[in-house]
Amino acid sequence: MRIQVRRTGGFAGIERHKEVDTSGRPDAHEWQALAEKAVAAGRVTPPIGVPDGFNYEITLDGRTVYAADPRLTEEQRRLISKVLKEGA
Amino acid sequence: MTTHGGFEPVFCTVVPPHVLDKLARNDDPALSGPARRTLMRDSELRGRRRVTTEFGLAAAPTAKAPSDQPLRTIYDAGHTTALPGTKVRAEGSEPGQDATVNRAYAGLGATFDLYLKAYARHSIDGDGLPLDATVHFDEGYNNAFWNGEQMVFGDGDGEIFLDFTIPIDVIGHELTHGVTQYTANLTYYGQPGALNESMSDVFGSLIKQYTLGQTAAEADWLIGAGLLAPGVTGKALRSMKEPGSAYDDDVLGKDPQPGTMDDYVRTGRDNGGVHINSGIPNHAFYLVATALGGHAWEKAGQIWFDVLTGGELSDRALFTDFAKLTVAAAKARYQEGDELQAVSKAWEQVGVRIL
Repeated sequence: MRIQVRRTGGFAGIERHKEVDTSGRPDAHEWQALAEKAVAAGRVTPPIGVPDGFNYEITLDGRTVYAADPRLTEEQRRLISKVLKEGA
Repeated sequence: MTTHGGFEPVFCTVVPPHVLDKLARNDDPALSGPARRTLMRDSELRGRRRVTTEFGLAAAPTAKAPSDQPLRTIYDAGHTTALPGTKVRAEGSEPGQDATVNRAYAGLGATFDLYLKAYARHSIDGDGLPLDATVHFDEGYNNAFWNGEQMVFGDGDGEIFLDFTIPIDVIGHELTHGVTQYTANLTYYGQPGALNESMSDVFGSLIKQYTLGQTAAEADWLIGAGLLAPGVTGKALRSMKEPGSAYDDDVLGKDPQPGTMDDYVRTGRDNGGVHINSGIPNHAFYLVATALGGHAWEKAGQIWFDVLTGGELSDRALFTDFAKLTVAAAKARYQEGDELQAVSKAWEQVGVRIL
């Protein structure tokens, strides 16, 4: 499973994009469970967030959903931070 | 150089009305409560503005005159994302051990001070709204934002960004989002969104200049100076003097801001490039301020403030609408003089045509 996260906006307006390919990883199941919950709570169109809040695009095997700070679910927040930290 | 003592921060929010409408109907009171309050404040304000413009009356006096002192509260999120967090400093209390808390408190005060002393505005809403800020939001959080009710500051990850309370212009920027929310309420998307961002950069920079007692010639015109970690190649996040020149780094990339309409960026990301195209109105303000000289908050800032709060600026305004209103405001306040000429010339230089 390919999980991609793109973060735009924020005070700095600097874009970040990372992805994780879970195939072959020992923790692939955990990634998959987390990613599916995060995507299920996502939106089909980008929400207009709060001023300087981050906007996010989460793509799971080609399907993209949107979210924005500060209204992220716990799973979205965990997934985003994990992908941006551990992804390539 | 004169100084104006310590500085202190402010906050603001810009959520478009249709989003507020939807939020106000949400079952979760944490969402519906703030949205309902914002809509109520909004309609009161609009009512007052309409009365003011249609009947040429002064704004209705409030029942009780707002205080000339800020009412600040700083909260600590303890590296979680729960807002507002634990109350750690109230108005009038002595500084504690946490420098982040003290900087936020001082920055809120400096922002309150500039709006009151320079523009006779009492806090963000013009009616003494208490100023709340939360620090230490999340872990290594590389951002600061205004959530419609309060300011929120991250500590930065220490690798790219340092603590977001370090630059006073960042604190002023966030609070000015509050002022915009309570006045023109510029929609946070596309050109009105870039104007919203530019208002925050303009007044954020003016708060820094006011605190340091700098003239337009002495100011650095940078947004976020001191925020980049030592290893990053750059001086700040944005430059009003020379948009596009703030940083050029292996990890961050290059500052994408245009300074003129020739380089206007069309994009859907970043709410339609609100942090990118804000470079154009930012640079126009810089040109007006440096052409007029002296303290930028006195004349250039006054003209911009008059437009932001005057009731004529639409929430969907484009650059050209804003430019036209600044010309009218310069004329109304300073007649046919250097001010009018400086404003007209600045917009011409950045390629915004006044129709």
